[in-house]
Amino acid sequence: MKKLNFKKLGCFALALSMGLSLSACTKAESKPYVIGISQYGEHASLDNCREGFLLGLEEAGLKEGEDFTVIYQNAAFDDNIAIQIGQSFSAENVDLMCAIATPSATACYAAAEDKDIPVIFTAITDPEAAHLDSGNVTGTSDKLPVEAQLDLIRKMQPEAKTIGIIYTTSEPNSVSAIAEYEEKAEAYGFTIETLGVSAQSEVTQAADTLISRGVDCLSNLTDNNVVGVLASILEKTGEAGIPVYGSEVEQVKIGCAAAAGIDYIKLGKQTGAMAAKVLKDEATCKEIPFETISEYGVYVNREACGTLGMEIPEDIAAVAIES
Amino acid sequence: MLEMVVSTLTQGLIYAFIAYGVYITYSILDFPDLTTDGSFPLGAAVTAVLLSKGCDPYLTLAAALLAGALAGFFTGFIHVKLHIRDLLAGIITMTALFSINLQIGGSNLIIPRTTDTIFSAAPTMAVFGGLSLLYRKLIVVCLLALIFKILLDLYFSTKSGLLLRAAGDNANLVTALAQDKGRVKILGLVISNSLIALAGAIVCHEQRSFSATMGTGQVVFGLASVIIGISLFRKLSFVRGTTAVIIGSILYKACISAALSLGLPANLLKLVTAVLFLLVLVFSGRRGEEIIRA
Amino acid sequence: MLEIKNVTKIFNSGEATEHRLFQDFELSVEDGEFVSVVGGNGSGKTSLLNIICGNLPIERGDVLIDGKSIAKEKDFVRCRRIGRVHQNPAMGTAPNLTVLENLSLANNKGKRFGLSFGINRRRKGFYCEQLADLGLGLEDKLDVKMGALSGGQRQAISLLMASLTPIDFLVLDEHTAALDPKTAEVIMLLTDRLIREKKLTAIMVTHNLRYALEYGSRLIMMDRGTVVLDKKGDEKARLCSDEVFEEFNKMSIRVSDGELN
Repeated sequence: MKKLNFKKLGCFALALSMGLSLSACTKAESKPYVIGISQYGEHASLDNCREGFLLGLEEAGLKEGEDFTVIYQNAAFDDNIAIQIGQSFSAENVDLMCAIATPSATACYAAAEDKDIPVIFTAITDPEAAHLDSGNVTGTSDKLPVEAQLDLIRKMQPEAKTIGIIYTTSEPNSVSAIAEYEEKAEAYGFTIETLGVSAQSEVTQAADTLISRGVDCLSNLTDNNVVGVLASILEKTGEAGIPVYGSEVEQVKIGCAAAAGIDYIKLGKQTGAMAAKVLKDEATCKEIPFETISEYGVYVNREACGTLGMEIPEDIAAVAIES
Repeated sequence: MLEMVVSTLTQGLIYAFIAYGVYITYSILDFPDLTTDGSFPLGAAVTAVLLSKGCDPYLTLAAALLAGALAGFFTGFIHVKLHIRDLLAGIITMTALFSINLQIGGSNLIIPRTTDTIFSAAPTMAVFGGLSLLYRKLIVVCLLALIFKILLDLYFSTKSGLLLRAAGDNANLVTALAQDKGRVKILGLVISNSLIALAGAIVCHEQRSFSATMGTGQVVFGLASVIIGISLFRKLSFVRGTTAVIIGSILYKACISAALSLGLPANLLKLVTAVLFLLVLVFSGRRGEEIIRA
Repeated sequence: MLEIKNVTKIFNSGEATEHRLFQDFELSVEDGEFVSVVGGNGSGKTSLLNIICGNLPIERGDVLIDGKSIAKEKDFVRCRRIGRVHQNPAMGTAPNLTVLENLSLANNKGKRFGLSFGINRRRKGFYCEQLADLGLGLEDKLDVKMGALSGGQRQAISLLMASLTPIDFLVLDEHTAALDPKTAEVIMLLTDRLIREKKLTAIMVTHNLRYALEYGSRLIMMDRGTVVLDKKGDEKARLCSDEVFEEFNKMSIRVSDGELN
């Protein structure tokens, strides 16, 4: 029994070391750039970021396979795995790291410290607060167009007074978005009723609470916990007869009435263009300040609005993309 | 390849502190302590705040130890004095810590590269300045892990340590020795959680960041490391428990590294760890129950 | 001297299943006495031990040692002066610690468990002597884990551990009941010898009427929370087994009558 164990153990160790050496082989050819993409998890908006990033590189004249190769890893929303991904990129001496979402960005940036590998991030709401605004790092911010959203809600519901927002207290992006909502709501004649949750399981309960407090509508952030159970929130608000506004196109597709939101593919493209500049030595990360997307799209869901008996004002219908 | 091994070793050694803590509660004290998921980020939060306020990097480690000790004390106190069941006591502290950590460090706190950490502070540089950051991290972490391993081994051979081991083995014996078993439990939880908070502090130094969600799943990690380590070395009685769990922690991290390097989708990583877990249990001839009791 | 005064113990007080076990129960044990307590299930003999050791709270009454009340003391505080051996051999020792570690712990009973080394190598000789005295060949097993020993060996060590430091009382809670008859005999002989050698005051609860008759200086029979038979000294020595058995049987019948009602 004892012998058998050690044999198995040996096999296991062998497999382990093979795995490790295999990874070392991938960077045999030295010509094309190697880009490590670390994505926090698989999620429609984050996937769009990655897709856009690759498109952006292509638009800048870099071809995958010829000019660059990609090592893509996602951390399945686990901070610890994000750390190990960053370190594996560093160990493999990638030429550039692309980090999608904050935990991946901080992990990549920490792993890149030793070799000063450039890190390009995207889908971070507040790079300044995350201290990712100086050093060999730059990227794009996916800060929500809060004013545009408030303006949209005002136009869709001229009578509305309170906007309910559910957010995760531990998501930095949500916390900073809430602060902006509260700061700017007054100018549009709204009061904001927020409810913080600590886990996804609390979200639908929070929706019930907000509905019972008589909010006129709900507005979503890009909060992963909330977006994850959006369908069941929509079921509840549908019964209560109040609309939900999304923060990006994917949410409107699910059934939100409307959204003034970011196009993550566009955001990714912008990021890809920055990465291309760095790879081609046209500029260093230090020379490129991080960018916040200036354009946003307005999306409406005519069917959802119809069910709620809401009319879409002319000026919105004119610019909106229907889904 | 070598760098990969070095960074994996570093991770394994940092997280060995969680394994130490979990080893004390689960394995020695027989106390299923879920405080871990809260005390780990607590250590990081305290460290991040102190570092950003310009505190001496080495001092932050002591502060984290103290913060973790408080967390462990709280779990022990409500379990022993308010008679809350062990599992629930841990859950209550963990839940409370989630909010407390948010209060201390916010949802996310990042230490700029210009701030010195234990890996770049002057005393460290004076001794290991010749090494690159990657190796410096390994050496510092290795030293810390060894120091605490030796301290723990020494502690287990003291009267107090012996009593702690007896408490998990047979709480009734502690009473028979005219000692308060509640106090022994609290002591164990204090030691365990201070080590776990120290792990959080070192991660904060190494990653230059704190995030409120970083504690999620640490209990499972710790338990897996302990079980892997203890199962592998259970036939070799000269291997101490502390040594076994360090190796367990390194193996766990190595498996994730290997899986990532093999290009396995991260969504499947948890499955891989589950399979690894199962294999170790099956091939070591143990099915878990004795480990928890041992 | 141990005195139990006016003790009232009610289980599930205020509930439908309320059960009054002791009502103004009285018992005193003189220094140097070796009391055997027998009685059927539910007679209250184990509860009596638990009340003495502080594992069972009482509604009314007092427990005194040498005239000083210990009723308010916690169980572990009382253990400073009481050594207890349980029915289950696993209860008295730590199975994953070695014999030496177990003995070292017992040797420090009542003192501080601080940061000095737990094992005093110089005491090794003393432990070996004590183990050799048990006559079970345990003297060369100091570094063996307690869990690897047989039930009888563990119980012998439990007995030794309970009496390693000076104590006022030795409490034996059916400590031979889980052992095979031969081992039980060995442990019983050992118990008797230890009590004599160390001049201990002891209370032994047992199911074994023969042990109760053969050993000890006093015999108490209990039934439903009262003492129905109490013989000591010469009276006890004259007591023949038939007498005790008869009394015991009467009691058993009463119990089954009671259950019929």
